[in-house]
Amino acid sequence: MSLLELSGVRAGYGQVNVLHDLALTVDQGEIVVMLGANGAGKTTTMRAISGMIGRTGRIVFEGNDITRAAPDAIVEAGIAQVPQGRGTFPELSVFDNLRLGAYTRRDADVAKDMDRWFGVFPRLQERRTQRAGSLSGGEQQMLAIARALMSRPRLLLCDEPSLGLAPIITQELFAVIQRLNTDEGVSVLLVEQNANLAMHLASRVYLLETGRIVATGSAAELSADDSIRKAYLGF
Amino acid sequence: MDLFLQRVVDGLAQGSVYALIALGLVIIYRGTGHLNFAQGEMALFATYCVYQLGEWGLSIYISVWIGMAIGFAVGAATERLLVRPVAKKSPFAVFIVTIGLFQFLNWLDGAIWGDQLLPNSGVGSEQSQFPSLFPDKDTDFITIFGANIRIQWIGVFALVLLVTGLLFLLFNKTRFGLAMRAVASSPDSSQLVGIRTNRVLMMSWGLAAAIGALGGIVFAGLNNSVSLGLMFTVFIYGSAAATLGGFDSPGGAVLAGLTIGVIENLVAGYAQEWVGQSLKLGVAFLVILIVLMVKPSGLFGTQKVERV
Repeated sequence: MSLLELSGVRAGYGQVNVLHDLALTVDQGEIVVMLGANGAGKTTTMRAISGMIGRTGRIVFEGNDITRAAPDAIVEAGIAQVPQGRGTFPELSVFDNLRLGAYTRRDADVAKDMDRWFGVFPRLQERRTQRAGSLSGGEQQMLAIARALMSRPRLLLCDEPSLGLAPIITQELFAVIQRLNTDEGVSVLLVEQNANLAMHLASRVYLLETGRIVATGSAAELSADDSIRKAYLGF
Repeated sequence: MDLFLQRVVDGLAQGSVYALIALGLVIIYRGTGHLNFAQGEMALFATYCVYQLGEWGLSIYISVWIGMAIGFAVGAATERLLVRPVAKKSPFAVFIVTIGLFQFLNWLDGAIWGDQLLPNSGVGSEQSQFPSLFPDKDTDFITIFGANIRIQWIGVFALVLLVTGLLFLLFNKTRFGLAMRAVASSPDSSQLVGIRTNRVLMMSWGLAAAIGALGGIVFAGLNNSVSLGLMFTVFIYGSAAATLGGFDSPGGAVLAGLTIGVIENLVAGYAQEWVGQSLKLGVAFLVILIVLMVKPSGLFGTQKVERV
């Protein structure tokens, strides 16, 4: 059984439909990368999964239909999203940002988890009392990921985490995502424009074009396809 | 010196009411970016209700809670039924809606309670004056440095400090306060961490209106009466306090409200001949204008800092 399965999903904003009959799956333990040009519907897909916009079709997570669930119920179900841009609370401290990540949790291990992610992201611990908005772009992106992890997700959605980051920071970031996947067992659905880097992580790749999946396969399979390689990988 | 002290404390009591209205404005503004034009009139409705409860023989110490609960209900219902449906369309629509509500509530108060000062024996009021939360007989004062300070003034001032302290704890020490700050900072991210932002906004409007209601009740107590025009100038001073304080800072709003109350009272007291009662509003605004020219984000407003 897939961890996440979308079938026949349509979603959009107001009268404008962005996704048409979208289908994709993420299996347990995978890093699935979704590639696509601007306006292909990558962010819309993420927002549809998280319940941030109206959607029809069928979205199933761990066997439960979450097509009509509210965002808070979806977080509780085990999906966390790092949205495009900085998914943080700029006026709030690093510490408060992480507390908010655990907002839906009622258990007593929140402090323990925070220490654990401070271990993974030591820069955040140094800056725990600083306002998130005063961090550098890379630090904010790390905070956004740590914030998402605080809800103990089984599936992490990352929407263009490399946007606006220096290449070396992006590499660091992707290394962290890789490590979370292998060490912590978090499955990942990653949307990227930075195809070359993302392909290295990917268990599987989807190509999205104007709201539809037009190709899918392993990173190696897609890189072997000349037209895809030219259009998306640029070599 | 004695007269000065007297005027300062009187001003603090007046300013406390402005502070309560300003707090309500700031709570709503932080959450949604909307200016609630009906803030004063929501408070007035609750204040009239407290008058009515007094007519029915209820003690002010009970009716003040009911008045605040009514305020909360009016505020929450306003968000749910009037603001939420139009908020997504345009912030101006919300502004117009709150102006409409301002008109409606004032009309409603007039339709129920008439347009005279209440209590009024002419219309059969049982009470001789609007109930005060604090001792307010002519003999209820203490003398400090030769100044006669009314206990009611001290009480109102202490009440505002208490409310401010409680709000501080709510914002900084509770889960709901954390959610309120999160929604103020980023509504989108708030949803993504599982905050029910709509509920937070509804509660914020309720809270703001309840605090405003307390302001109205206290002010009517200071004036000994309630009337349809009671909250007009209070709302103007309250908005001025919110602006001066920085519009997103509750502490700033309180401090600014108190400052405006004191300035207003000192100006009216010392410069009576050339400023007089009718122009003291203008002096208060002159001060605000100067402060805002020097510090556009208000005394305590956060300038948005974001590194990208």
